[in-house]
Amino acid sequence: MKTIKDHISHKLEDAQFEFAVYDSAAAEKAGYSNYSYWGSTFRCFLKNKVALSLLILLALLLIFTYIQPYLPGQYEANRVIDHPISSIQLMNEPPRLSNVMERVPGDTVLTVTPWDELALATVSKAWAEASKEWIAVSNVLSSIPSRKYFTVTEYGDDYCKIEYNGIVGYVKNDFTTKLKLPEDFRNTPYEARSNFSIKIYSTPSELTHKGNELFVLRSSVSMLDDKTAVTVKEAELRMLPDTRTFLFGTNNAGQDLWAMVWSGTRTSLTIGIAVAFCQAIIGILIGVLWGYVKCLDRLLTEVYNVIDNIPTTIVLILISYILRPGISTLIFAMSITGWVGMARFVRNQIVIIRDRDYNLASRCLGTNTFRIISRNLLPYLVSVITLRMALSIPGAIGSEVFITYIGLGLPVSIPSLGNLINVGRKLLATSASYQLVFPTIVLSIITISFYIIGNSFADAADPKNHL
Amino acid sequence: MAKYLIKRIGQSLLTLFIILTVVFIMVRQMPIDGYFENIDKLDEAVIKATLDNMGLNDPILVQLKDFFLDLLQGDLGTSARYSQGVPITKIVAEKAPISIILGVLSMAVSLILGIPLGAAMARSKNKFWDKFGTLFIVLINAVPAAVYYIYIQSYGTSLVNMIMHLIQGEEAAKIGMLFDQTRWVTWILPVFSMSLGNIAYYAMWLRRYMVDEMNKDYVRLARAKGVDSKKITMRHVFRNAFVPMIQYIPTSLLYTVGGSIYIESLYSIPGMGGLLVEVIQRQDNPMVQAIVMIYSCIGIVGMLLGDILMAVIDPRISLTRKEGAR
Repeated sequence: MKTIKDHISHKLEDAQFEFAVYDSAAAEKAGYSNYSYWGSTFRCFLKNKVALSLLILLALLLIFTYIQPYLPGQYEANRVIDHPISSIQLMNEPPRLSNVMERVPGDTVLTVTPWDELALATVSKAWAEASKEWIAVSNVLSSIPSRKYFTVTEYGDDYCKIEYNGIVGYVKNDFTTKLKLPEDFRNTPYEARSNFSIKIYSTPSELTHKGNELFVLRSSVSMLDDKTAVTVKEAELRMLPDTRTFLFGTNNAGQDLWAMVWSGTRTSLTIGIAVAFCQAIIGILIGVLWGYVKCLDRLLTEVYNVIDNIPTTIVLILISYILRPGISTLIFAMSITGWVGMARFVRNQIVIIRDRDYNLASRCLGTNTFRIISRNLLPYLVSVITLRMALSIPGAIGSEVFITYIGLGLPVSIPSLGNLINVGRKLLATSASYQLVFPTIVLSIITISFYIIGNSFADAADPKNHL
Repeated sequence: MAKYLIKRIGQSLLTLFIILTVVFIMVRQMPIDGYFENIDKLDEAVIKATLDNMGLNDPILVQLKDFFLDLLQGDLGTSARYSQGVPITKIVAEKAPISIILGVLSMAVSLILGIPLGAAMARSKNKFWDKFGTLFIVLINAVPAAVYYIYIQSYGTSLVNMIMHLIQGEEAAKIGMLFDQTRWVTWILPVFSMSLGNIAYYAMWLRRYMVDEMNKDYVRLARAKGVDSKKITMRHVFRNAFVPMIQYIPTSLLYTVGGSIYIESLYSIPGMGGLLVEVIQRQDNPMVQAIVMIYSCIGIVGMLLGDILMAVIDPRISLTRKEGAR
């Protein structure tokens, strides 16, 4: 009877049963896995398209926030912008894409306001320099004092052509308030009278900005005499001797909201990032001690119970109330309240992994405590620590808004998103609501991005999702 | 059980003692302006006499002892700037009821809206309600509350006016942006705003627990038996998922307390939160101290009640191991 051995022996050759020679390259190949934690985390994160695009948006926003003051054509954040001639603050100017107020065709006669002398005395340095290139113009020829008669030579629904003291020009025809008219007013000429002082314009339109002069480049006009200029081609009349615009409008102090928003974002982000780092450092340090050093466990647990029982808001309010308002106070107050959550989390994780076999082995081999903590324990926590830091940035920005509302935040001279929102809050129901809308849009983009990116990063960092 | 109760109450008392001491000592570090209505008009001698009279020049430990003795007799001191010389207990007693009513209402509303939202999200996983709820939760968590409260106040007022106009017709009286205790319509927006954070919080956790519960074997068995899915959700999944939700009630109380400060001040509600903002702006030291202490007490008592409630309701939660784990 054939044994199994006989059955298979002819298929086996002795050569197949020789000992293998140690081959280091083959050994390397067998022991090699192309799994890497951070690589997989990164790939996982890239799969989430929403988070990825938000990350790019956030990165661009952050870069822009920091380089914005160095871009050409920016106003300084706290500069109060006055009209160069009337020196009236340009308050609550609505957002505009360009500050060209009017385009006039060639051969338009404009009245020149001599502001070269003015510029040297009262106007800010920037405007004084601009005065060489720009001339201030309007089409106001003269004004008629109240209750004076003048002759209407041509009647129009919006503007009437008139003659007064030898000046021929146009006056606005809003006769419900101003012009006193005869019964058959369309029959010209006739004598009319206004109860108020009214302006005579050289063209049937008003080329001013709220009664203030507009500015035109010297190169696009030719001077007839000292007081009149004629446009040589189509010319742009601007609100200011400047090509810079108020993209977000101006606030109620006449400051450029665009510059204020970015400067405020910088402040708020600085606070947020500083708070995130302080919380992480304090939280990790205390959490590690709490979890690793057994004799401290009881004490720190009691401290935790005390702090955890008070509403965070109250601690924030109390600390900001006692200290002087400022950026460092805010950072300090938020770090004091924020480290608790981080510390508790780190502690719980460390208690879980502290006594695992590999740590026990490490300890038996005489690895010192610091090395065990920094090499064996903390790498496990990196992803969640990052998540918590990402989430504490929007939290800190929100707290800043709240503290500012209560009146304990930053002084108005330091623009921050909290300050801007607090000022804009009162204007929401008015036509100046853009002063609240722009800061809140920027704030929401930042906080929502941090939140979503943080969460999807935490998902990506979870090894369960690495399959 | 009794042992746990005694231990937990003792812990709360200790916490209370520490917090009161810390707050007291911290407020003592403030400039003394906050104890006078107008310090610039007084001369040195008067200031010193008043401070002596108030006991503010004593060593800090003596002050602390006096403070706790007064506290045991229910005396929180008198207001310095807000309304000079009036006992703080009297001011607070007038203001507290409305804050309590608002807080309770908002907790109720957030449970009433948050629980169904969470259940609906779990039932329709990856469909409309789930997506809607996720969007809501992300918005509420990510956008600072201070910002959306403002928008709710402004646009919500016009919305409420519009709805009232539709219901009552021409005779509907318009409401302003501020709170008016005698008109119930003006209660809607503050209570709703205060609830939003907690609605998101409850919905988020209930959804997570219910989804976890739905993947368990007993649910699969029930489904295999042919029980209809509505019944499974209500009878099995929801019931089991609801128990761990109890542990979030104390924390949500802390949120409500925090939110109430802002909301009350925004709507000019004559409650404690608005009062706190007002006395901070007037730098009335004794009142800030007293109100901060009261809020801390609310926090401590709320957490205590929450823990006891949890211990009573869920026998599975181990009373002895719980410490420091939450």
